[in-house]
Order: sequence, then structure tokens, then C-alpha cells
Amino acid sequence: MSVAAFIVIAFMLATYVVLDGYDLGVAAIVPFVARSDREREGAMRAIGPFWNGNEVWLIAAGGALFALFPQAYASAFSGFYLPLIIVLWLLMGRGIAMELRGHFPSEIWHTFWDTCFAISSALLILLFGVALGNLLHGLPLDPHGYFVGTFARLLNPYALVVGVFAVAALGLHGAVFLVMRTNGPLTERARALAVRLWYIVLLWYALASVLSVVEHGVRLSWISAIPLLTLVTFVWLLVEIRRGGERRAFAASSLWLLSLMLQAAGTLFPYLLPSLTPSIPGISIYDAAPSPAALASALTVSIVGLIAVVIYGTLVTRHLAGKLSVGE
Amino acid sequence: MSVVLADRLQFAFTVMFHYLFPITTMGLAPFVAFYTLKAQRGDADAAKAAAFWTKIFAVNFAVGVVTGIPMEFQFGTNWARFSAASGSVIGQPLAMEGIYAFFLESIFLGVLLYGKDRVAPALHGVSGVCVWLGSWLSGFFITATDAWMQHPVGYAVGADGRIELTSLFAVLTSPFAWWQYVHVLAGAMVAGGFVVAGIGAYYVLSRREDALARRFVQSGTIVALVFSMLAIFPTGDRNSANVTQYQPVKLAAMEGLFASTNGAPLAIIGMPDVHARTILDPVFVPDILSFLAYGNFNANVKGLNAYATELWPPVELTYYAYHVMVGLGTIFVSIAGVAVLWMWRKRLFEARWVLWLLLLAMPFPYIANEAGWVTTEVGRQPWIIYGLMKTAHAASPTVVTGETIFTLLGFAGMYFMLGVLFLYLTLREIGLGPSASALAHGAELPA
Ligand code: HDD
Ligand code: HEM
Ligand code: HEM
Repeated sequence: MSVAAFIVIAFMLATYVVLDGYDLGVAAIVPFVARSDREREGAMRAIGPFWNGNEVWLIAAGGALFALFPQAYASAFSGFYLPLIIVLWLLMGRGIAMELRGHFPSEIWHTFWDTCFAISSALLILLFGVALGNLLHGLPLDPHGYFVGTFARLLNPYALVVGVFAVAALGLHGAVFLVMRTNGPLTERARALAVRLWYIVLLWYALASVLSVVEHGVRLSWISAIPLLTLVTFVWLLVEIRRGGERRAFAASSLWLLSLMLQAAGTLFPYLLPSLTPSIPGISIYDAAPSPAALASALTVSIVGLIAVVIYGTLVTRHLAGKLSVGE
Repeated sequence: MSVVLADRLQFAFTVMFHYLFPITTMGLAPFVAFYTLKAQRGDADAAKAAAFWTKIFAVNFAVGVVTGIPMEFQFGTNWARFSAASGSVIGQPLAMEGIYAFFLESIFLGVLLYGKDRVAPALHGVSGVCVWLGSWLSGFFITATDAWMQHPVGYAVGADGRIELTSLFAVLTSPFAWWQYVHVLAGAMVAGGFVVAGIGAYYVLSRREDALARRFVQSGTIVALVFSMLAIFPTGDRNSANVTQYQPVKLAAMEGLFASTNGAPLAIIGMPDVHARTILDPVFVPDILSFLAYGNFNANVKGLNAYATELWPPVELTYYAYHVMVGLGTIFVSIAGVAVLWMWRKRLFEARWVLWLLLLAMPFPYIANEAGWVTTEVGRQPWIIYGLMKTAHAASPTVVTGETIFTLLGFAGMYFMLGVLFLYLTLREIGLGPSASALAHGAELPA
């Protein structure tokens, strides 16, 4: 049952990465693809109806972690105190920027919020990447499973590399989304950027692989040991961008991100918080789960609810999908 | 300052700020749904009203969301020992809130805001109702969470001291939670009613928006009257009964009652003096407290003196907060009652003083709601989970005072700016008015 709970959390986080990933990515690349106030507004409209629902995947995953693995929730959240509060502030900055921009017709007002939106989103992706890097890398834990390192310690080279990787990867995902969702000069610039980002991601991939082999030997070489799915979807992505298969490109980049998340989850399993010190075991899914009865109840309500969300979410979202024309 | 105190200040500050926005969204959601459905039937005025209230709702919702996320994280960041010990219970309603309520609200708000010209009219109408349902559901789950901390049920304490859930059903159907929830809803609807009536009164007073303004005043005052009565009876009364039964120390602190008494009087005003263990300058109504608590004018009500001082909550704060809530509750009934009476006599729109009263009443439901929470939460001290875990033992072991103070200051700064922006934008929307909202719908909003 702990395994099922792990799968639920991994599923929610992976969905979060794919869904909120595109709107975070769009936000991060807007300064590079939009040239005018109208275009930036167009990019915002492209994600407008969806970003809030997407972000709920993160909130709900937090709630599910709390219910399914209370011990891990408590250790991780209190251990990463400052970084998490910074994540919160960035989430706030981003949410406010998105909502408040449209309420006042002034270019200065718009420019301010657009900048705020782009910077907070890019930093968020970076921090999420750094967090993932640290999880894969292992954490300095005390015997009770509480984090004992410092903030600076979290910014180790490996984690930073994963962080930058995340920015490039989600930027690519966002560009592909914009291409699918908009029509106009903006779209063409997004398409060109997507191609460039594809190569950057590829190069960074190589760098990350070398670094992880040098630093940690083979244990952390998940990035270099690219399983087939990742490779196939990644190549398919470029093919579709080139060929103009816009929806298929987005499907490819979503699958590609999913496969990366799958690898990350596979690397971690069965740990939620792996320990860096060999003498101290990390927090595994077996240590962190509550009693079987409580776990069963939390699992049931989560799974039933999630199925409902996926169904009505898909149905409703389809009604809002389609191209927006964005003038210059 | 101890880290627990810093954590408490941070939690109290952030949750009280957050709560300002759900009050409004829960209170306005029925109005938004109602006008959206009416607009679907071709009522042009209702279409304007729907556009206007949706805008106000959306700003509130946005601030509610960004201030809500820190709440959910704080259980882990600041209260790790509490979370580790009780997550198997607390986490479940919180997770359900995310999965069952927030998705519903957020996904359908996307449709409501962006879908007007893109989706079928029926779906647009339904989305208003789904947003309403979502906001009331989140209110339920979060209140059930809090109610469990007030009166734990459906759990067992394991050998390792962890509190394990044994029955989710018991947690979600606890009468304590349900009475608390309907009272919370009543509080939110009082606020929603007064906001709609107050803004309507403002337009009538400034001779704008004619018929629509009158509709706002009429529907707002009726809602305000009905729900401010419901806030007192049965919901407020049942809450008092639950407190009496399960948290007698809190009751004594709320009432400023030190000595146990038969036929205890109700102190309507007066200042509790904790050192002297007495109430200064009180105005008493004899026997009423016994009656309210036990339905019997002679019943014995235990006073604070019957308990060790370590088990006392901060008496003054609990007492004053409670009296502010109850005092305001009585005033709301009077104001809304006068307005409805004048409406019935068809004189309301000539009686400018009543309209002024409605306009000026707008902030007070917020104060009453916050005061109610202060009563509930401060009165629960020194327990974080009543009878099971002390607040002093709940904080994160690895977080130090300095960190919490730093983040508290950060939240204070951000919330200050957020508050200013929120007020500015809301007042601007009110200034523009429903006619302008209807025109601008889709052009300016959203983003
Ligand atoms: C407009 C808002 C409003 C109004 C007019 C009232 N209340 Fe209230 N009250 C709340 C808004 C509220 C609240 C903020 O929503 C609380 C906080 C927690 C809760 O359950 O509701 C609350 C809590 C609360 C509690 C504490 C419950 C606990 O500790 O668990 C009691 C005993 C009452 N109320 C009783 C009353 C009575 C007797 C009222 C009669 C006038 C009254 N309330 C009016
Ligand atoms: C419904 C969900 C809620 C939960 C689970 C909850 C839980 C908590 C927790 C964990 C604390 C900190 C520990 C403590 O000092 O007891 C606290 C304190 C506090 N909360 Fe709540 N709370 C909730 C709702 C609210 C709301 C809506 C308000 C007000 C608007 C509120 C007002 C306060 C205050 C004022 C304190 C400080 C009390 C003190 O430290 O003396 N709470 N609550
Ligand atoms: C400790 C207490 C609380 C926590 C952890 C919390 C958590 C949250 C979170 C994470 C959100 C954002 C949801 C989204 O993205 O859509 C939110 C919004 C919301 N919360 Fe809270 N909340 C707390 C207190 C309360 C209380 C006491 C109520 C009402 C009784 C409430 C009602 C709502 C509602 C209706 C929303 C939707 C947004 C809005 O209407 O402003 N919350 N809350």
C-alpha cells in the first residue's frame, strides 16, 4: 500500500510538472518571444484559464503528501524552511502578477507585472530543479530524519545543474505550448526559440551526465542513462516542431517530461528523502506512512477524487482549447 | 522570543489575513452564481451584475489563493512535530480540500472568466454554480480540520505516540464540525450580504446604476438579515453548547467567569481582571449564562478558578474577541432588520440615513468573523489539539526563532502591499461600476 501511495504522489507531481510546467515555461520565455504589450497580453491569455487549475496540482500534492506520508511532509517542509518560504513568495508574486495585470489599462502597470511574472516564474523553475537535484543527490539528515544542512549546502553544483536544466526544459515545453495555442508573429518566434532550446537542452543533458558521473559515479547517472522512452519522445519532439505538428509536438514534450519524472521517481524509490550519510538511512515510504487503516482511507479518497478531477478537468479544458489570434 | 511564540504570531497573522478573502468569496459565490444563471435567461441587468460581481470575486479569489498556499505549507514548515504526530488525521481533510474543492473552484473559475464567448451558455451558467460549490466545499474541509483540533474524534494513539486516524467518516461527520461549519457559512453570508447591500447603497446614494443598484440593496439586506439571524440561532447557540460541553475552560474565559456559580449571569460588558480574578464594571443579566449553556436557569457553570492556571487560555483576548463577535452579531440583526422594514414600507430608497448605515456597515462583518476565530483559536490554548497535544510541543525542531521572524516580516511586507493593491483595484472596480464591467468584459479582464 505504501507503494501505491508513492505512485499517487509521483503521479500528482508529474502531472504538476507537465501542466504547470507549460505555464511556468511560457512565463519564463515571454520576454524573449513577445515584442509588444499586445503580444505579452496574448501570451498571458494563452495560459489564463488554466494556470490556476494547474497550480492546484502542487497544492493537492502537498496535501496528499501530508496525509499519506506525514513524517516525510514534516521533515522535508521544516528542513527546507527558507527555500520553501521563498518558493511561497515566488508563487505569490506570480499569482498576483497574473491576476492583477489585466485590471488596469496602463502600459507601465503591465510592464511591471509582466517582468515580475517572468522573473518569479523562472526562479521558481530553478528552485524546483534545485530541489529535485538535491533529492536525487541525497540530503544531510539527522537520525530522526530531520534535515541538518544549510541553505548554501542545497546550492551544490549538481543541484544547480539540474536547476538550470529544468529552466531550459520547461522553457522548451512552454514554447511548444505557445506554438500550439496562438496564431501570429509571436507563434513564429516561439517556434524558432523552441528549436534553439531543444539544442540547449541536449547540450545541457550531456554536461549534466558528465558531471554526475564525475561527482557521484554511476549511482546518479540517471540523466545519462537515458531510457528509450525519453530518447524517443525527445527526438519525436524535434521532428514535430520542424514538421509543424503542433499538437503532437506538445504531446511529445509532455511525454518526454513524464518520462524524466518517471526516471526521477525510479531513482528515488523506495525513498522519499534519501540520506547522504551512509550510516543514517533516509526516510523511506515504509517509515513515513501512517497506520494501514489511515493509509487505506487516504488512498481511497485521493484516488477517487483524482479520477473525477482528471475526467471533468479534461472535458472542461477541451471546451476552452483552440487557437487564439495574437496581434502585434 | 521563543520560537513557538514566533510561529504562533506568524500563523495567526497569515491565517487572519487569508481568511479575509474566503469570507468574501464564500459570501459572494451564491450571488455570482445567481446572476450568471439569470443572465443566461436573457436578463440584461443580471448580465451586468454577473460581470461586475465576477470581477470582484476574481480579485478576491486571486488574493485568497496566494495567501492560502502559505497556510497549507506552514503546517510542515513551522509545525513539523504537530504534523508528524497528527498528519494521518489532519492531512486527510486538507488533501480532500485540494482534490475535491480547489480543483473544482479553480477549473470552473477559468471557464467563468474566460469562457463567456467560447463555451456553450449552459456550461458557462453551470460553472458559476460549480465555483460556488467549490468555495463552500473548501470551507467545509478546512473547518472540519480545525474542528478536529478543537474536538478530536475518530483517532487512536499508537505506541509510538503518533495519532492515527481510525475513521475518516467520524472526522467528517462530527457534529462539532458541522455546527462550526454552518456558523462559518452564516458568517460569510452575512459579510456577502452586507457587501452587496453596501455597494448597492453607494450607487443609490450617488444616483448611479438605477434599477440594478436597488436590486443589490434589496437582495443584500434580505440575505444579511436571514443569515445574521442564523448566525445567532441556531448556529451560534449550538457552537456555545459544544464549547460548554467539550471545552468548559474556554467557555469560562469567553464569559469572563472566574468563580463557579449556580444561575450564572451573563456579562454583557465589563473588563476581566485576571490578577484579581474578577470582572470590573460589569453589566450582568442574571441567570442567562446558565440558561444559554445548559438550557436551565439554575445550572452550575464552572468558572476559571476550578481549573489550574496552566490550562487557562489567554483570558482577556478570548473574552474581548467573543464579546466583539456577539455584540456585532446583535447590531447586524438590527441594521439589516431596519433596512428590511423600511423596504417593506417602500421607503428604503428615500431614507438616506438607512442607506448610509448599510454603506458604513460593510467592514464590520469582517471584524466579527475575525473576532470569532480569535475566540475559537486563542480560547483553545494551551492546546493545539484539544486534550492531546500542547502548542508548546508542536513546533518544528530544526527551525529557529530568527528564521521565523525573518519570514514573518517578509509576509507582513508582502501582505501589506497586497492589501493596498487589493483595496485599490476593488475600489476602482466599484468606481467603474457594473455598466462599465459589462462593456469591458473580455477586453480588460482577464489579463
Ligand atoms: C459575521 C460573523 C459572525 C457573527 C455575527 C457571529 N459569529 Fe460566532 N463565529 C464566527 C462568526 C460570527 C466565525 C468567525 O465564523 C467563528 C470562528 C470559528 C467558527 O466556527 O466560527 C465563530 C465562532 C463562534 C464560537 C466559538 C466556537 C468554538 O470555539 O469552537 C461561538 C461559541 C460563537 N461563534 C457563538 C456566536 C454567537 C452566540 C453569536 C451571536 C451573536 C455569534 N457567534 C455571532
Ligand atoms: C480552519 C482551519 C484552521 C486551522 C487548522 C488552524 C490551526 C491553527 C494552528 C495550527 C495554530 C497555531 C498553534 C496555536 O497557536 O494554537 C492556530 C493559531 C491561531 N489561529 Fe487557527 N486555524 C485555522 C483557522 C483559523 C482562522 C480562519 C483564523 C482567523 C481568521 C485563525 C486564527 C488563529 C489565531 C488568531 C491563532 C493564534 C492563537 C494563539 O496563538 O494564541 N485560525 N490555528
Ligand atoms: C489553516 C488554515 C487554512 C489553510 C491551510 C488554507 C489553505 C488554502 C489554500 C492552499 C488555498 C488556495 C487554493 C487554490 O489554489 O485554489 C485556499 C483558498 C481558500 N480558502 Fe483557505 N486555508 C485555510 C483557512 C481557511 C478557512 C478557515 C476557510 C473558510 C472557512 C478557507 C476557505 C478558503 C476558500 C473558500 C478558498 C478559495 C479561494 C478563495 O475563495 O479565496 N480557508 N486556502
